[in-house]
Amino acid sequence: MALEDFRADAMRCTRCAYCKWIPFDHVKSWKYAKGCPSIEAGKFHSYSAGGRLVTALSLMDGRSTVTPAVEDSVFKCTMCGLCDVSCKLCRYDMEPLAAMSELRATLVEDGHVPAQVEPILKSLRTEFNMLQKPRAERGNWAKELGLKDLSKEQAEVVFHAGCRYSFDGDLGHVAKASVKILKQAGLDFGIMGENESCCGGRAHTMGHRKDMHTRATHNLTAWKKAGVKTIVTPCSDCYHAFKRLYASTEGSEIQVLHMVEIVDQLLKDGKLKLTKAVNKKVTYHDPCHLGRQGEPFVAWNGVEKKIFGQAVAYEPARPRYNGAFGIYEAPRNILKAIPGLQFVEMERIKESAWCCGSGGGCKETYPDFALSTANQRLDEAQSTGADAIVSACPWCERNFLDANQEGASKLEVLDIIALVEQAL
Amino acid sequence: MEISRDAYRAIEDIVGAENISDDPAFLDSYAFQWLAELVRPENSHYMPRPWAVVLPATTEEVQAIHRVCNKYGIKIKPISTGWYHWAAPMKDNEPTIQIDLRRMDKIISIDEKNMVAVVEPYVTCAQLQAEVMKLGLNINIIGAGCSTSIVASASTYFGAGPSSYYMGNNSDNLLGQEWVTPAGDVVLTGSLSSDCGWFCGEGPGPSLRGVTRGNMGSRGGLGTYTKCAIKLAPWHGAAVLEPQGPPPAYRLPIPENTRVYTIGVPSWDAFAETYLNIYDNEIGYIFHRQFNLAGADLAPALWLTYLRPDGTMNDVETASKDPEMQKLADEGRISFQIILQGRSVDEVKLQDKILDAIMAKTGAYKVGRFCEQDFAEFTHMYLQRLGHKHCNFIWVGGYMGSWMQAGIPDFVKNYSPVAIDGFYRDQKQSDGLVQCGGDALMGCGSSISGGGYFGFEQFVSYDPNDKASVQACVKHMYDAIDDCKANGIPLGKEYIYLMIGWPDEQIWNDFSKAPQTFVLHFQRKIKEHFDPRELGDRNYPWLPKGMGQPNFITQS
Ligand SMILES: Cc1cc2nc3c(=O)[nH]c(=O)nc-3n(C[C@H](O)[C@H](O)[C@H](O)COP(=O)(O)OP(=O)(O)OC[C@H]3O[C@@H](n4cnc5c(N)ncnc54)[C@H](O)[C@@H]3O)c2cc1C
Ligand code: SF4
Ligand code: SF4
Repeated sequence: MALEDFRADAMRCTRCAYCKWIPFDHVKSWKYAKGCPSIEAGKFHSYSAGGRLVTALSLMDGRSTVTPAVEDSVFKCTMCGLCDVSCKLCRYDMEPLAAMSELRATLVEDGHVPAQVEPILKSLRTEFNMLQKPRAERGNWAKELGLKDLSKEQAEVVFHAGCRYSFDGDLGHVAKASVKILKQAGLDFGIMGENESCCGGRAHTMGHRKDMHTRATHNLTAWKKAGVKTIVTPCSDCYHAFKRLYASTEGSEIQVLHMVEIVDQLLKDGKLKLTKAVNKKVTYHDPCHLGRQGEPFVAWNGVEKKIFGQAVAYEPARPRYNGAFGIYEAPRNILKAIPGLQFVEMERIKESAWCCGSGGGCKETYPDFALSTANQRLDEAQSTGADAIVSACPWCERNFLDANQEGASKLEVLDIIALVEQAL
Repeated sequence: MEISRDAYRAIEDIVGAENISDDPAFLDSYAFQWLAELVRPENSHYMPRPWAVVLPATTEEVQAIHRVCNKYGIKIKPISTGWYHWAAPMKDNEPTIQIDLRRMDKIISIDEKNMVAVVEPYVTCAQLQAEVMKLGLNINIIGAGCSTSIVASASTYFGAGPSSYYMGNNSDNLLGQEWVTPAGDVVLTGSLSSDCGWFCGEGPGPSLRGVTRGNMGSRGGLGTYTKCAIKLAPWHGAAVLEPQGPPPAYRLPIPENTRVYTIGVPSWDAFAETYLNIYDNEIGYIFHRQFNLAGADLAPALWLTYLRPDGTMNDVETASKDPEMQKLADEGRISFQIILQGRSVDEVKLQDKILDAIMAKTGAYKVGRFCEQDFAEFTHMYLQRLGHKHCNFIWVGGYMGSWMQAGIPDFVKNYSPVAIDGFYRDQKQSDGLVQCGGDALMGCGSSISGGGYFGFEQFVSYDPNDKASVQACVKHMYDAIDDCKANGIPLGKEYIYLMIGWPDEQIWNDFSKAPQTFVLHFQRKIKEHFDPRELGDRNYPWLPKGMGQPNFITQS
């Protein structure tokens, strides 16, 4: 795709501003009606999906050039996809999220890379992670767990911990809890250990598509060699990269499962029993990459056609990603199955969830923006009366933990798999 | 015209550097407007680019910005949520500052007892509705939907919606404003001006509602409204709406005190009779001809596909060929949606009985498939919140409303067939418009408070990405004007749109032939008083001295 391929989207944008709000039917209060972290921070229309479509058009038509302000507006967006859901509530001919991704990639191609990103990219290219940690330490979390090393052995299932769970000291226990559950379920699986590489998904959402391609090639080659048919990960960022991005850009057909899907199935099959009470009141934060962007990928290669004279359809029919089929119920089923746990919902949930602030590379590139976005979510979580906010993505959890340190929230930040482990 | 950087710096000093921009791409995001392509040279999608855009946070900041504009001769153009090209600068050669009000987004107060809310311009209908429903109250959401600013529809442009039938038009629901005049004065209207609070739009102090608001509104041409008070209506539903199901067609369960129907009628005569009877009997909470926006031929195929989260336009195409769907299109050809809501279950039962009796009398009937639970719940959600109004653009992103005339039911029943024939003719003459049948007339059950007076508009869908399609729409606009003239019907909305592209002289020439030009002369005087430097744009219409007839209504 090229930016020019999104000209029609831009021309057909009606500036309705639905992309700034959660789906209106779900608005339950003044405060939590807002849907787009970017416009909340940037305020000018350019900091919205509709605004970026105009920016793209304006740049393509030579009406404007890439200035520092334009750079800021293009990159200060978590790529959370709320806008995409809200726009598609009424539209079948718009792909705002894809268009924004293309705009970023175009800016990157043209050399417009925020300075803060350089060391992160360097780390990705040399150490295969974006956390600027030595590659050799990647498998440390699994030392002494006696797991199959798929760089030497074979298994149909690979457990991919991802960068955050591998290197983030506060979150490493989630990877351990995950493999404990997989073992208990009797699954034959292994890990890539030191040879595990970043999925590259964050690089992709930041506009650095070649970097994701390099990481994808590395991972797919390694998995093929090890006979892997299924990837299991507790990280929603990796999940999205493998399930949607590898499928769409690399043609990958490998099965991808998030840990919550596995646990949900194990609970349904009676292969996992949660017996210990966890006496907490919790609320659940839907990670964007597991929820609205976690829908199954459907291959499509088609063209626009007109029906009824001027209405837009596609030949063949274009798959519709509108957040309807994200992974929403599995985590909720799990929480409801934990004895003693009281589960309460926030106002903005599922496809309407407010982003944690970490996505789109914002945690790395615009840390203040990331934290203020997280604080708004913590505020919403606190308003439910919960003691803890639970999520299924280490990037959300890291950002909430950091925001907690600075903000007024007293909420515990928990990973859903760690909670399951407590209940075993 | 070049403006001194001093002006920019002066405004920057008021709001801070982060709240003003003249970055060309940022400005383009304000110039880019729906409908621009119908009226701008070369069918450009851009209205004139503002000179700068500024984001004030308080009335004081707005006032200070206006004063700088006065000093440097810069035009002022406020924008709330920005879903109308009226919000953009109107002329290329007029340096204009765009006042984006998104930082003024607070609900100032909700007076439950007196049923009044006071809001800033960037409070959307959805937000206020959600808050007042918790108190058993509701607001009239305009037909443009709940994404729009309450201040905009109440203070400055139009104001009718599906619930106006029960809750009034927002021009009437307006109970006072805080108004920063173009000259930079802060004026309080209605009872507020006498320090009596926001309860009455007409005084005890001077009533300026007619000046600031009138029928259509000043559309940003007469300064900035920084607050308004809006009348609230009773709500007998849940405190919080809990929609069910996946997107896009969320469904709102229908409680015992509520009924949701799509009603069909055999003819336009029967439509008018049914409408009048419903109005006379004072039943109904929401009255709208909603789903016909897709065109009567295609509406069932579109909306039944829309119910499916994975449905595509290709499915609509397939469905439209299904004989069952065509039968349904005929069944619902002349139809409308009505929601009955009672204070009690008994009351809604009574309303139901009355409706049955009316239908028996007029030959109206319930359109079966659209009254089934799934569709009725979807209709309920759609009309209570009006959160799917972007569906106006569902076919291809371009829609223009022609034939937007309102009147008593007899007037509407007479113009509807003319509008249908003309639109059908234009669809057949070129493939530039979506071929949805001649009847894409959609509209709410009341254009004024209290009902009895309403109108439709034709939903003309065209592709903004296709110049030939845009031009077909423009041609239809001129055709509609000709059809109106030929049939002795007053000109509709397309005429007001087309004027945007005209030079002042052409507009004044047309205005000077208006039946009551004294209004436009009076408005000139208002403008001279509140906007001596002409910093508001021509959205606030007036006539230069000496043009047109100096006619006055004579007292008999
Ligand atoms: C698809 C569609 C359907 C519509 N259908 C209806 C309908 O059924 N009923 C109806 O009443 N209207 C309808 N409208 C018009 C609608 O009333 C206006 O667009 C509405 O006021 C929009 O609110 P907004 O927040 O988007 O206003 P904006 O687009 O921001 O502004 C609308 C106008 O008001 C001016 N303005 C905005 N805020 C202020 C302020 N604070 N002070 C001074 N001037 C201001 C602007 O300059 C502009 O001229 C429709 C519009 C669209 C796009
Ligand atoms: S991107 Fe979609 S939701 Fe946003 S303004 Fe454009 S059409 Fe509306
Ligand atoms: S992806 Fe998220 S942050 Fe970015 S524009 Fe869309 S809603 Fe806003």
